[in-house]
Amino acid sequence: MTLLEFARGPAMEWSLIILVAGVVLRFAGIFLLTRHKTYFRTKGGSTLAAGLRTIGTRSAPTPDLEHRVRFSHYTGYLWHIGLFITVLFYAPHILFFESILGFGWPALPTSVVLAAAAVTLAVLIALLIRRMVHPVLKTISGFDDYASWFVTTLPLVTGLVAFGHLGADFGWRYETLLAVHILSVELLFVYFPFGKLFHPFSIWFTRYMIGGQMEQRGVRA
Amino acid sequence: MSQREENLGQYMARRGISRRTFLKFCTVMGSTMALSPAQAAEMAETMAKATRQSVIWLSFQECTGCTESITRSHNPTLESLIFDFISLDYHHTLQAAAGDAAEHAREEAMKKHKGKYVVVVDGSIPMGENAHYSTIAGITNEQMLRDTAKDCFAIVTVGTCAAFGGIPAARPNPTGAVAVSDIIKDKPIINVSGCPPMPQVMTGTLSHILTFGAIPELDHLGRPIAFFGETIHDRCYRRPFYEKGQFAKSFDDEGARKGWCLYEVGCKGPTTYNACANLKWNGADTFPVQSGHGCLGCSEPNFWDQAGGFYAPLSVGDWGSHEVLAGAVVAGAAVGAAAAVAGRSKQKSAHEEKKS
Amino acid sequence: MSLNREAFNKFAEMAGQLADMDTPVEMPDDQRVANAKRVMMEKMDAPKAAMLESCIHCGMCAEVCHFYMTQEDGKFTPILKLDLLKRVYRRELSPLRWMHRLYTRDVTIEDLEEWQELVYDTCTVCGRCSLICPMGIHIAAMMPIMRNAYSAAGMVPAELHLMDSQQDQGHLFGVGKDEFIGLIEQLRSQGLEIPVDKDKADIMVLTSVLDIMVSQDSLIAMIKIMNHLGYDWTFRTDGYECANFGMLSGDEEVHLKASKKIIDAAVACGAKKVIVAECGHSYPALRYEAPDIWGHALPFEVLATSEFLGQEVEKGTLKLKKAEGVHTVTFHDPCKNNRWGGVEKEPRAVLTALGLEIREPDSTGRTNICCGGGGGAFLINRTADYRQRVFELKRDQIDATGSEALVVTCGSCRLNFEVGKMKSNWGKPVESLVEMVGDNLDDGAARSGTGSP
Repeated sequence: MTLLEFARGPAMEWSLIILVAGVVLRFAGIFLLTRHKTYFRTKGGSTLAAGLRTIGTRSAPTPDLEHRVRFSHYTGYLWHIGLFITVLFYAPHILFFESILGFGWPALPTSVVLAAAAVTLAVLIALLIRRMVHPVLKTISGFDDYASWFVTTLPLVTGLVAFGHLGADFGWRYETLLAVHILSVELLFVYFPFGKLFHPFSIWFTRYMIGGQMEQRGVRA
Repeated sequence: MSQREENLGQYMARRGISRRTFLKFCTVMGSTMALSPAQAAEMAETMAKATRQSVIWLSFQECTGCTESITRSHNPTLESLIFDFISLDYHHTLQAAAGDAAEHAREEAMKKHKGKYVVVVDGSIPMGENAHYSTIAGITNEQMLRDTAKDCFAIVTVGTCAAFGGIPAARPNPTGAVAVSDIIKDKPIINVSGCPPMPQVMTGTLSHILTFGAIPELDHLGRPIAFFGETIHDRCYRRPFYEKGQFAKSFDDEGARKGWCLYEVGCKGPTTYNACANLKWNGADTFPVQSGHGCLGCSEPNFWDQAGGFYAPLSVGDWGSHEVLAGAVVAGAAVGAAAAVAGRSKQKSAHEEKKS
Repeated sequence: MSLNREAFNKFAEMAGQLADMDTPVEMPDDQRVANAKRVMMEKMDAPKAAMLESCIHCGMCAEVCHFYMTQEDGKFTPILKLDLLKRVYRRELSPLRWMHRLYTRDVTIEDLEEWQELVYDTCTVCGRCSLICPMGIHIAAMMPIMRNAYSAAGMVPAELHLMDSQQDQGHLFGVGKDEFIGLIEQLRSQGLEIPVDKDKADIMVLTSVLDIMVSQDSLIAMIKIMNHLGYDWTFRTDGYECANFGMLSGDEEVHLKASKKIIDAAVACGAKKVIVAECGHSYPALRYEAPDIWGHALPFEVLATSEFLGQEVEKGTLKLKKAEGVHTVTFHDPCKNNRWGGVEKEPRAVLTALGLEIREPDSTGRTNICCGGGGGAFLINRTADYRQRVFELKRDQIDATGSEALVVTCGSCRLNFEVGKMKSNWGKPVESLVEMVGDNLDDGAARSGTGSP
């Protein structure tokens, strides 16, 4: 079995199993924990409406505080959008999703995807450096932060290398580069449910909850 | 002048090939093999003087497609002439002799050209049931290969079966088929893979041996880099469509009619190393992609068993099934729920502890 | 009306000695750790778990925290202040605990000692971090769990622990029921009409130790306002104190005990409304936290002073004159009233009714920066330097508005500003909202006199 066969075969199947089972496990384990009842007279309006609203409003910092977090906020959006374009709108990637989901969508031209990937990589590197030097970030960061960075950035790097056939000078062949790229994505899948990368699943619920909790006291979250 | 002493130049002249045509052939071959113009000229010079190379052709577990590919060109070509020129001392498909006489010819050639003859192998070697799945004149393929290879100069495998096991070795590999390189470890092996391999690659490789009396530069799979240095995708005339993101979605859609990239219908061009896209097939200046079908990757090991099959795009692997993933969901939910329930009881006992 | 300077100095002197007066809790270290962990575990639930699981370590919470803003030390990052809770959760309750246990260190006594500063000194539980978190983690709502754990471990800072013990015994800074009655008698002798311990009353008014000791003018103003409105109201000597050091120290037992006094008194006189004095934390302590500890809904409405005044102004029952001598003011929202209680427009309605122009600083209302002394931090002596830095941040922000005076509606905000003023020779007047209202009641307007709130 070659590396590419391994990557496209058993590694892919198992990484997806771990991804799916891990996410569901963590979800069930969190949300089936106990809940404490609230007895005070609530003050605001509908907590449902407030919760749903907060899912949207937390997408941007509240205007009064925006100037304090401008850099994190905008760079965060920049690399997330770049990553989404790369992941979701590159033709070969769409085929992968289509094989699992059963439907596809139009791709963007390769040049656009390439530019997005390059920008994303640049921002991620800048953010890593920032994480290592910023007084807050370097204090609160641990293994998970760096591991998450690594498994997110690696597929981007291996993807760009495979795309550009870089590494041919070192005798690395395309199928090896492609295999490494696929394996790096599978590493991401496997790590996904276990660290902070889980946040795209939980964010909607936590935002919803803080919106409701604050609304009960008549405060806009 | 006996045929044995006739050199290639003389043979060509006898068959009505002008020196100019032969030079042109050498220039093309030379450029394919990345030789300098001077080297190409030298190649023409050397090749013209080359005498017949003794070749023993062993056909094992194979379909004869490789031999067909090389010998049954629809019109006689220069390549076929070079092929004719080599001294095929043993080829049980082609030779007139049969039975003991044939085996005798092989043994004689081995004795006479000890250390100089080239062994060409097509077909894989079945190792199951003590290698008895395939025998010739009562000799197992494995034994014949070991015997014949012992005193050879080099082995050239023709086709993916001999090079990598090929279709006979495809899952579940009932005969225990293996490649030549799995058995012979002490001789240079040149893998001319493909299912079938390109005739030009075969003759080019032989030309190199005739010319330089040496093994050409090989890649990590033992294939001549001159022919297997680039992927089909690298040289594919449909590549611009790939770059622009224009893909045929099925074999009869608008994109297919417009000749767009076949990546999405499973073309393995990006991971397949062969010369099809530049040398083309059948003297008709075409190759599979040009005929509207994606590359199957036949010159690569295990192409038959690749994840997802021939029509799954390269970026799509064998990700399992929805049933397996549904099972993962159920298992995850069960473990998660169990963890939460255990957590609740922990909290409860913490609460009791506080009260007491 | 203004702050009683003499009493203020006396109070400051007393506050300085609190730590020496405290009797620390004796407990073996492993018991402290066990107690702390037990409380943290008990208090966790699904929403909090989801929140702790969601942190991406972006650091935004630090950027809006007044302690980080003024010191730029990473250890003051709000989410890091919850780290012990996170670790206990991860090791004991998380669905991935089998994995987390491999590399998440258990909580030790050294950890508890190290985090004390982060839980009490450098967190005023103001909740600003909860507003910025892009993941929607309610960081500040989990801080009280840390304090509950510290209380169970007997590791509350001395000042707050002493106050907690005093609250348990029914007096604060030497002020108990007798001292309150004494002040009432004194004020009555000055001619004020003060209803006390009525069997039936629509409104029960609370006061706080700070008003009794230092800001008697606030108390007087409230009495005048209530009389002016003509409602059926009363003080109750069995439930007058709104300050709750049980909550500030994390001692739920004392928290509920203090709240229960108020609840029982209000139930006894059939009050429909209970008005909390100008004391920030007292409002959520009674209005929101007490019912949850008690496990029952309160049978009356709880209003902050500024909330009550604003409602009366909006109803048109409270008629005010234009304030004299001042035209522009900045209002400082107490974090416990606004971010923790939703009181925002009411105090502004009052200031507008006083004919004042409100000059808002660049971050105001629900995003207002805490005075630096909230959540009990005001009493912890070793944090004086931290508080002063926050004061300077606030001062510059308020100066930038160009307003003539600062209006507050919380006793500890007020004292914190006064201390800051003294230390940095700031000349800006710091006024109490209730006192401004008391000074500007429109006596020409008819009393509502209906007796119904």
